[in-house]
Amino acid sequence: MERTEKSLYTIMLIFIIGLAVMGLALDGPTQTLKGFLHLQVRGARLINDFTQAGAGSAMFNAALVGLIGLIIVFFATISLSGPTIAAIFTMVGFGFFGKTPLNALPIIGGVWIAARLAHKTLGSYSLIALFGTALGPVVTFIMFEMGLPLSLSIPLGLFSGLVAGFILPGVARSMLQLHQGYNLYNTGFSCGFIGLFLSGLLIASNKMEPITIIWNTANESALVLFIPILSLFLILSALIIDGFSHIRETIQALFKLQNLSGRLPTDLFDAGTAGSALINMALLGLVSSLYVALVKAPFNGPVIGGILTVMGFGGFGKTLKNIWPVVAGVVLATLVFGKQLSDPGPILAALFCTTLAPIAGQFGIVAGIVAGFIHLFMVETTAVWHGGLDLYNNGFAGGLTASLIMAMLQWYKTNRPKEDFQV
Amino acid sequence: MKRKEFLGRLIGELTNFMLENNPLRLVISLHQEDDGAHISFFDDQPRSEKELEQIRASLNPKTQRPELAQYYGQMAGNDMAWGARLKLIGWQIKHASVSNSDSGLQIDLWLGSDAFNPENFTLDGKI
Repeated sequence: MERTEKSLYTIMLIFIIGLAVMGLALDGPTQTLKGFLHLQVRGARLINDFTQAGAGSAMFNAALVGLIGLIIVFFATISLSGPTIAAIFTMVGFGFFGKTPLNALPIIGGVWIAARLAHKTLGSYSLIALFGTALGPVVTFIMFEMGLPLSLSIPLGLFSGLVAGFILPGVARSMLQLHQGYNLYNTGFSCGFIGLFLSGLLIASNKMEPITIIWNTANESALVLFIPILSLFLILSALIIDGFSHIRETIQALFKLQNLSGRLPTDLFDAGTAGSALINMALLGLVSSLYVALVKAPFNGPVIGGILTVMGFGGFGKTLKNIWPVVAGVVLATLVFGKQLSDPGPILAALFCTTLAPIAGQFGIVAGIVAGFIHLFMVETTAVWHGGLDLYNNGFAGGLTASLIMAMLQWYKTNRPKEDFQV
Repeated sequence: MKRKEFLGRLIGELTNFMLENNPLRLVISLHQEDDGAHISFFDDQPRSEKELEQIRASLNPKTQRPELAQYYGQMAGNDMAWGARLKLIGWQIKHASVSNSDSGLQIDLWLGSDAFNPENFTLDGKI
């Protein structure tokens, strides 16, 4: 393992352990553990804000979910770099509103079985396994929300998670072809696709419950300060990794990163320096927090989850330059359709729409704004389609949006007369 | 089937890359054996030393990235409308050599199982 990667492991461990300790300190160990156990045995479909049960418990749960991700990356002997850091940050983020160790592990198990059958290592399928935990609510829905006796529902939930994980690699690889890497949350797109079938099955058997929104509106200071503190920690870590004497090179690399399209798979830790990628992540976190504060949205579980996801992908495709046009598109659509920027749908769309950042990065500001505009009205519809079973609903909507835009652009590009043979 | 798809994707992506320079001539040569394969690409467009170095770096990544190769490697050769991405190839092959031949660019890709040894191939003797 290289020195930089060792440093990244240290950073991730400090982040995860710090989050767990903060959680324990916030609610007290007994209350935190009680709340944590409570989170394991309840439904987790969208939108289920875990901070409602206690910010400390949600933090502790998020830390454990992230730790699972880090352990898998370590033992699968794959690089801790842009893609894997994005996956772990996303897992921690969704540990605030949907992912739990109990509902994540069966999905990972299913992907592992698929890897074994395909004669691949788990490392090869690790990104699908980590991001695939978006289907965790399938497990807890069957276990605890369908009204079945636990002796039946628990094995059935585990089995369903394994099946969902098992089919995910095949689906995820195929879905990439639709948008050609212009939707960063491709696994979310794939999970939404699988969720459509699961939701259809549940509706046909009269077992599907309508979506409810649990949305904590209390602004707890620990949650408000969490992202700025984490961002400052990342900046400090960046300067240590690259060396204080190399600040100039780090800043130059950071500017270089801003010119990348971000199309999958763009590992910003490879494209620049580790320090520049960490600063990019930190800046995205600070800007996202500022936006949330400006529109007066609460810093609750889903919002913190959204910001952590944006930050994570700051190492894997997102930059300040390629996200703003898409966010501007969402803001524009929110105002045009007469919605509030701080409402759950628009605020989450403004954060997660950055899945479409590569469209702005590759095709420019106008394309980015159009993508963001379409994304808002799509994302408010798609959650119902899969019954909230896919936590990355924005990845699903983003995949549909990106596929539409790419189909149109590709048609235009391949029909330009000047690139044809002369008559 | 797996081998056919794999070769097709790699040839497609690299062809996309070479066609971006609009060559008048492009030759692709494939030599397969049980444990591996060797693909050569020649065109009539010589590149500068800087360009050759960039191509070399993209096709020979410093570290193995199985998590990227298995997931995103599928995109190689699938999309001819936009710019080629050589890194998608680099993660999936054993080795690539890049040079200017007498007429233009020459790229050799070596791919195969873990036991595959590119030393057993010599392009001149095989094509």
